Amino acid sequence: MLEIKKLSKCFDDLEVLRDINLSVSKGEVIVIIGPSGSGKSTLLRCVNLLEQPTGGEILYLGQDITCLGKKVTDYRKHVGMVFQKFNLFPLKNALENVMYAPVKLNKVSHKEAREQAMELLRKVGLESKADTYPAALSGGQQQRVAIARALAMKPEILLFDEPTSALDPELVGDVLEVMKQLAGEGMTMIVVTHEMGFARDVADRVIFMDGGYIVEEGVPCDIFTQPKNERTKSFLARVL
Amino acid sequence: MELHFKKALDTLGPSLWGGIGIVLFITLAGFACALAVALLVAVGRLSKIKILSRILAIIIELVRGTPLLVQFFYIYYVVPILLNSILSLFGYDTNIQLEASTCGIIGFAINYGCYMSEVIRSAILAIDSGQREAGLALGFSENKVLFHFIMPPALRNSVPVFGNYLVMLIKDTSLLAMISVQELLLRTKTYASQTFLTVEAYTILALVYLCLSIPLSYLSRMVERMLKRAR
Repeated sequence: MLEIKKLSKCFDDLEVLRDINLSVSKGEVIVIIGPSGSGKSTLLRCVNLLEQPTGGEILYLGQDITCLGKKVTDYRKHVGMVFQKFNLFPLKNALENVMYAPVKLNKVSHKEAREQAMELLRKVGLESKADTYPAALSGGQQQRVAIARALAMKPEILLFDEPTSALDPELVGDVLEVMKQLAGEGMTMIVVTHEMGFARDVADRVIFMDGGYIVEEGVPCDIFTQPKNERTKSFLARVL
Repeated sequence: MELHFKKALDTLGPSLWGGIGIVLFITLAGFACALAVALLVAVGRLSKIKILSRILAIIIELVRGTPLLVQFFYIYYVVPILLNSILSLFGYDTNIQLEASTCGIIGFAINYGCYMSEVIRSAILAIDSGQREAGLALGFSENKVLFHFIMPPALRNSVPVFGNYLVMLIKDTSLLAMISVQELLLRTKTYASQTFLTVEAYTILALVYLCLSIPLSYLSRMVERMLKRAR
């Protein structure tokens, strides 16, 4: 459903992504790993055009989305994103965070949006925190609300940008649990993470990036047990 | 020296009551207009249209670089002449005159609007860029993101500073005496020159200003605390 062809991205003179080719089919869970500065996050942010690619194309359902102009907002409704720092709206409680976009953008009725939002909060195990403001939630809880918020727009693809990197180690598990559940339900996901356990257990395909290139890609057991590339080997040797 | 506060209060008091009405009206109207101007200018300053941002920056410099009193004089005496002569170029023979208190409100709107726009602008810039990205990722457009997710917390964070400006503004209405607005200072001045109760009259005037500004600054502190508690 998503096809990335010869994608490149430069910040001034700095080439961050070079010749990225990647296709994602429906229901697939793709995990991107790699050292800091390898371009993982930039790639993810290019997929929903938070960064405008400098070259190449991204086809969503056959249509190139890099030149949509103002219609990019319609495309973004189909692509949810979960951020490293959660980015919840601080003046809205958990429930309002989740139901705000459907009400404002999809003209869903208040009542219907509310029910749907409660359903999503239940799904991420935070029904009881509906009235709580982000400042009073733990990092793990905030991230789960953020996942519910992304799901509220009923996206076709979910992007996760290091969703557990800003969390205390003991809170990581709850968030990963929710992500596993989503993967089990057939959600198409692209996940940038340093959680190798998650990558091994949940990913359909693992992509290793370094220096702006996709260095190696394959099913998790191949990548983790018999990486072909030297760079992949040394990276995994250090993180595993 | 003999002081006649009782007498001064009895005779000056009613006149000051009338002045307070005018001062409050100009303060509220001026502040409301200034807020509107500030919002528009702040958004314009941050817009991607370079020329608009540049022009607004120059206007802000001009306004901040000249005294408020001079601006009042300019609006009251110069602007009508300019308007009339421009209109006469198009063959209209007009005699536009601006009422002094209207000039006051316009002057406050422009002057305080420019100062407060910088407050709003920096408050907007202080909002974490993650808020914008979260809004965009949900499918909001840039403009909607500004309206729904950036402006509300930015304005909220600006409230304490707005409170200060409001207190400053109510005191600055005394400048309007110079362009013949019948506010507190002008009334007191007239009274003092007629009765020679100079000490009494100006002391009462100072106290009246205190009675106006102290509750106002107390109120703004209360609002500030309320906002803090709600978070």
